[in-house]
Amino acid sequence: MSGTSTTGTTGTTGILITGIGTALPGVEGPSDLLRAAGLPRDPAAPAVDPAALIGKRGLRYKDRASQLALCAARAALLDAGLLDGEAAADGALTVPGTSVAVVVSSNLGNLDTVCEVADGIRAEGVTGISPMGLPNASSNVIASSVAIRHGLRGPNLMVCNGATSGVDAVHWGAAMLRAGRAQRALVIGVETHNRQVEWLLGRPAGELLDGAVALLLERAPAAAGRGAAGIAALGPYAREAGVEECVRRLLTASGGRPGSWYVPEGHRDASPAALSGVARTDLTERFGSASGALGVLQCATAARGLALPPAGEPGTALVTSGTDRDDASAGMVLLAVEASA
Amino acid sequence: MSTHSPAEDRPELVFTGIGAVASVGGSADEIFSALCAGRSGLAELRSFDRDRYRVRHAYEIDDRPPSGEDEPGRATRWLLAAIEEAVRDAGLGEELAEVPILIGTGLRELRSAELGWRDGADFDAGRLHFGTALRERFGAVRTHTFSNACSASLYALAMGSDLLLSGETDTVVVAGVDTLTESMYGLLDRVHMEPPEQLRPFDRDRRGVLMGEGAAAVVLRRADAATDSGTGTGSAAPVRGRLRSVAVNCDAYHVTAPDPGGIAEAVRAAHREAGVKPEDIDLVMLHGTGTLLNDEAEATAVGEVFGPHVSRPLMTAVKSMTGHTSGGSGLLSLIVALQALEGGRVPPVVGLRQPVPEAEKFRLVRDEQQLAEPALAQVDAFGFGGVNAVAVVERAAL
Repeated sequence: MSGTSTTGTTGTTGILITGIGTALPGVEGPSDLLRAAGLPRDPAAPAVDPAALIGKRGLRYKDRASQLALCAARAALLDAGLLDGEAAADGALTVPGTSVAVVVSSNLGNLDTVCEVADGIRAEGVTGISPMGLPNASSNVIASSVAIRHGLRGPNLMVCNGATSGVDAVHWGAAMLRAGRAQRALVIGVETHNRQVEWLLGRPAGELLDGAVALLLERAPAAAGRGAAGIAALGPYAREAGVEECVRRLLTASGGRPGSWYVPEGHRDASPAALSGVARTDLTERFGSASGALGVLQCATAARGLALPPAGEPGTALVTSGTDRDDASAGMVLLAVEASA
Repeated sequence: MSTHSPAEDRPELVFTGIGAVASVGGSADEIFSALCAGRSGLAELRSFDRDRYRVRHAYEIDDRPPSGEDEPGRATRWLLAAIEEAVRDAGLGEELAEVPILIGTGLRELRSAELGWRDGADFDAGRLHFGTALRERFGAVRTHTFSNACSASLYALAMGSDLLLSGETDTVVVAGVDTLTESMYGLLDRVHMEPPEQLRPFDRDRRGVLMGEGAAAVVLRRADAATDSGTGTGSAAPVRGRLRSVAVNCDAYHVTAPDPGGIAEAVRAAHREAGVKPEDIDLVMLHGTGTLLNDEAEATAVGEVFGPHVSRPLMTAVKSMTGHTSGGSGLLSLIVALQALEGGRVPPVVGLRQPVPEAEKFRLVRDEQQLAEPALAQVDAFGFGGVNAVAVVERAAL
């Protein structure tokens, strides 16, 4: 098949990360990400309080995942300079709402609503359940809630793609921009924990992320047009049968070893040999198992690292999610803005 | 969307395979025959304990074990069946390691999660999305599950067409699937004023939506690749139709209620990207959920965009016979559109007695199939959260 030899990698230029937002326990904001990522897990870190971050208005009836996503979304829009005035309740968008797409990744976001409603029907029949649960029964409620809050009328996509979902979401955000469907894409990764999530994953809450991270992706000309600087640029993406294949394909596509490697959960000491000696970071050691949020968290952290003054390291970072036990491994290369220029 | 590249100088995209499963039939052809005959999949609720609901009807696929007990994994089963049919139709073979497979779904395998959580059925987190099953069945790894409510499969089609247009690949499989979940069925029941006994799109006496089950799949290729088949067999599969555009947007208005303005903008964008005018459209596959608000909003938006030409195209709404197959419904409508363009007949809207005022001027196909020779069709799909997707498809060159 002609053309399919490059199917798994997408040579990309001109997509920048121009804003990062966090709603993570023990992290004060994007500038705190790298410091926090280097610390051991802090079980005493207080949970994110959405009402304290963005006010109570509009949070009633929103599930926890949507609330966390709204916090990270607002922070990323502010960081990118797309909200006019922090003092305003939500701030007015400084660009047309139709120019901004939303892509959210979460695997477990509305599992609690689904299971609780099924329980409620068993216990009391359908008249015993609250109709206010209806929006949350649809898995895309997180993405639409973010769009509604900020008037983002571009394409709106909910990615629920398993262990690789976060990296995949960044890829789809970039793909929309390359296709000309929008000028900017707000990409959010979010997961939470509750009884239902603990049951499905077979893991206690203490091992799981309760938080959200957001990236504002922007076409380079659109960023330049409003005088916005890039934090990092997106490189090629791949989704392959395993970590080894994924890394190999991305190294070929990007033409060299990265300065740092953000590994899939629990993969710090595993192969591939091609990356021996490259600094490895497993963000789940610090933030807990992050499922659909991991890839976005990795990209945000990697981008902040690339934005630091150069220290002689190559200005690229490799991000990978999904191990050989998952249905696939996906990855992306991020580039320092100078290196991509 | 306003910046999405115009129709000129784009590579041509063609459908080379279709497949579907629904309450009314186990293959795309069976479904089309049933729909043209006006045969509905409506039946009394089988999945759940009827006594716990006010609504007692649905359009289910009747494939549970003889005991009648529900079982996990049914959505996955239909999805695989629809894809098998589509790739067979396209002559692709079943080794799909290099082919991106994009799935649009409203409810993923959340029915299996309900059965696992509440009844202890065997289910694990790796099967909530469809990548695990697609890898096992087809060796596929470039798989993507999008959970985009009731426009999910047309959203997936939009993403798939972008992959083809970027030159990144020459073939994609796009599919949609959904099963009834107790949580969604129950919550919809809870918000009906009176329980509907039938899904009656655009009828003044409609009472609301009823869920349906099904899956739909297409193989979409760049025409330049499809002509040399690319399968290594040297025999090109017949082209089932052409994709002219898929426009997607978001109302950013309400988590469940639609906004006619956002819908109208999606329809206009689909026309613009396809390089067509409202008067060029011969057939409109309406989303038509039978919901009080949705039908009104869709009819208002279509009326506004088509203006003086609103009585020209034939219009139909297959949910009157399939029920609302949620995330898979857009692609199911699109497959029916391809078959109508190919076969020269359009299935009717059943159960329609008196259209809503907003649709009074629509040329709705009523009661019986209509023979026609449409060349260009518009396919609507709108979902919770105001996620709108509209496609324009064209008959294959004769």
